[in-house]
Amino acid sequence: MLKVSLKYLCIIILMLGFIISCNNKKTRIEDQDLKYNLIDEFINKGKNSELSNEERVENLEKAYGIYSTLKDNSMKVEKIHQISFAYYSLKDFENYKKFNEKALELSKSINDSLKIAESYGYLGIYYRVSELDNAYKNFYQAEKIYSSINLSKYDKKEIAFEHGRILIDLARVLQRTKNYSESEKATIRAIESFNKAENEKFLSICYTNLGILAKYMERFDEAIDYHLKAIEYDENTKDEILQKTISYNNIGTTYKSQKKYNKAKEYYNKALLSHTEFLEKNPKRKARLIDNLAYVNFLSNDTTQIPELFYKALKIRDSIDDKNGIATNTLHLAEYYQSINKDSISKVYAEQSKGISLELQKNEELLRVYKLLSEVSNKSEGLEYANQYIKLNDSLVKQERLFRDKFARIRFETDQIVEENIQISKENQILLIAILGLTTLSLLGYIIFRQQQSNKELLFAQTQQEANEEIYRLLLNQQIKLEEGRQLEQQRMSEELHDGVLGRLFGVRLSLDGINQRANDGFTDARNKYIEELKSIEKEIRLISHDLGAETLPSDVAYIDAVETLIKDLCGVHKIEYEFNSDENIDWESINDQKKVNLFRILQESLQNIFKHAKANIVKISFDYVDDKINLTILDDGIGFKTSKVKKGIGLKNIASRVSQMSGVVNFLSTEDSGTTVSVSIPL
Amino acid sequence: MIDDHPMIIEGYKNTLLGENQKEYQIKIDIASNCDDAYSSIVKSSESVPYDMLFVDIKLPPSSDGSITSGEDLAKHAKELLPKAKIIILTMHREDHRIHNILKNINPSGFLIKSDLTSSELLLAFNNIVKGKAYYSSTVNDHFRKMMTNKFSLDEKNLKILYHLSRGVKTKNLPNYVSLSLSAIEKRKNQIKEMFSIAKADDQKLLEEARKRGFI
Repeated sequence: MLKVSLKYLCIIILMLGFIISCNNKKTRIEDQDLKYNLIDEFINKGKNSELSNEERVENLEKAYGIYSTLKDNSMKVEKIHQISFAYYSLKDFENYKKFNEKALELSKSINDSLKIAESYGYLGIYYRVSELDNAYKNFYQAEKIYSSINLSKYDKKEIAFEHGRILIDLARVLQRTKNYSESEKATIRAIESFNKAENEKFLSICYTNLGILAKYMERFDEAIDYHLKAIEYDENTKDEILQKTISYNNIGTTYKSQKKYNKAKEYYNKALLSHTEFLEKNPKRKARLIDNLAYVNFLSNDTTQIPELFYKALKIRDSIDDKNGIATNTLHLAEYYQSINKDSISKVYAEQSKGISLELQKNEELLRVYKLLSEVSNKSEGLEYANQYIKLNDSLVKQERLFRDKFARIRFETDQIVEENIQISKENQILLIAILGLTTLSLLGYIIFRQQQSNKELLFAQTQQEANEEIYRLLLNQQIKLEEGRQLEQQRMSEELHDGVLGRLFGVRLSLDGINQRANDGFTDARNKYIEELKSIEKEIRLISHDLGAETLPSDVAYIDAVETLIKDLCGVHKIEYEFNSDENIDWESINDQKKVNLFRILQESLQNIFKHAKANIVKISFDYVDDKINLTILDDGIGFKTSKVKKGIGLKNIASRVSQMSGVVNFLSTEDSGTTVSVSIPL
Repeated sequence: MIDDHPMIIEGYKNTLLGENQKEYQIKIDIASNCDDAYSSIVKSSESVPYDMLFVDIKLPPSSDGSITSGEDLAKHAKELLPKAKIIILTMHREDHRIHNILKNINPSGFLIKSDLTSSELLLAFNNIVKGKAYYSSTVNDHFRKMMTNKFSLDEKNLKILYHLSRGVKTKNLPNYVSLSLSAIEKRKNQIKEMFSIAKADDQKLLEEARKRGFI
């Protein structure tokens, strides 16, 4: 889980990186490709056995040079593995080990489990020759990884095959350290793995190992069955003959252990006689078979070809310097000579075997040599050898126990590390879940926040519109109040003039007239003239009073007044003349505020457009009432615009949206240099 | 003499007392509001009834609100003092008011103050004393106009026309004429038919009404 999660994280990071470095990426990829091509070329040259070793090493060093400039990834590990193989083929095992250690380090740093396992496996191969505990450790580590690896990401068969290989290696290490039952378990698991992988290539080796184990555990019949099965698996493959040779040898040895010498002879001969050509090319195997056959002959007291066969084998072994074989071979000869009481010759061969066995740490042979020497030597020497025999025997038992302990410890330590890893992965998992949870939460929070924000904005817009309308309502109400107040005042003044001033004036005039009729002082006419003047003043006042008293359409006028004030103010500011007409038949009071506000806004917007763009000298605005529709026409004599050319600005869009809100129709008519007409038609 | 302006009464007095003192013995009572006027009328009807009443139309109404104008007062006077000559003197010269007053009160004299001079007042006074009715030229004009039309408009119709001519909207008319809006619309259409301008708008109607002297 951890690895998967980390992988995803890596992918995300990589993607981010990709986005950031998009531009550089291409050239870098090309660069990388070039390097891979080059490194492959050097490695191939390094593996080429036709070239001299110096050249090969030189190429491998070049390959490593390029390797160190590569970016850390699985491909890079692959390359260093290949370099290590090349060194292996050069028999430079120290470099093989060194590069695989590097590979392991790199695999760990890029967290590639598969490559880590592979590197452990290859290191195990290095150690399996001489350091069995280290070999065990590496194979065990690799095995652990293969057992716990997440199969979903990889080719299952491939993994199973690699796992099987590691298991069989492990089994063989265990076998060599006499952990037979453990080894058997590992071998069976290896067989299972190979079956899973549907690859039979190494099954013969598995069964061979099982056979050997069965022999050690004295289940001889079983052992023979296993060896025969091993041959079956390699039938019709290029390894058939090799496997047959090995298996027949092993079967022979099994029979030898059972003391069924004739059977043993039969199988050794089968091996020796059926594949002579193959054995000519493999003198080591031939020598071993001959030696084994000779030894069985010796054990069964069939001395017809003894000691010639021993010498034949020894000769081959000497010629190829097969020290291992020589150690066994000389031991056999020593035993033979002891049996025919030629102790001195026996001792010579025994001494030779001892020397090589000591060198090669072939403890089993050594043990037998000590035993033999103690018997063929004189008393004091014999005692000495007997002591050595006991000592070695003890140390071997100890070593076996030691190995077992060591392996147990390795298992324990590895398991502990794995457990720790699991622990860490669990912690990481929790961390990851927490991070994911937090991210989701914050994302959710953000989304909710945005939602609320936009809701707020909508709400705000709504309240603003409401507020706008409220303002206009108030404005209109204000206007109406103002108008009513004025009306009232006018009415009052009208009445005052009519009833008060006019009455009194009339009274004065009448009195004056009355007096004038009576007086006869020659000024009657002159006074009459003034009395007439008074009468005409009366008339004037009455007219004024009448005018004042005339109702001036209260509420209706208020809206139109507001509109006209707007036009007057705006035109005044921008110094443009205007004409304004409003159809008296429009009953503004019955029209809802929304429409009035919208018309007001449209007018305002249109005027703004005219002031900003039109360069007009005069605007004509009219409200007409036709067929239950209010038509607002705004006309200017400005420069106009091409209706097709001009994209609708926010102003025109606003107008259009307001008109559509009232399910009306709007038209913008304009040609260049002939002014603009905006006509809006709103149904009531 | 009933008028809320002492100056006007002064004017009447000056006119009548100045010239006619020789022929008639004139005794004048004055009242400046409906209450005083009514009580005087009642008093006189019980003792020496007035021969003549000068009544202004616009007067402060009586305290109980039953008498609101000279028109109401004149109606009462006609009942209480059947022999008294009633002279209406008013500043109002609107046709429908004239029409109304003529119809309701049928006064012996009907003088429009704005037309009035002292000589005319004297002339009217003398005529009325002799039993002859006297109307101001404006009132006579109204009569003439009425006569030239083959039909006459009733008070409500005239009122409608009058208010329309003042610029009152049709829908506001119910505030001025005690009729429902639909009734007013109906009447308007009737008037238009009578003027034989059936489908015309208000503007046309008013023009025609002016021409025919209803406004």
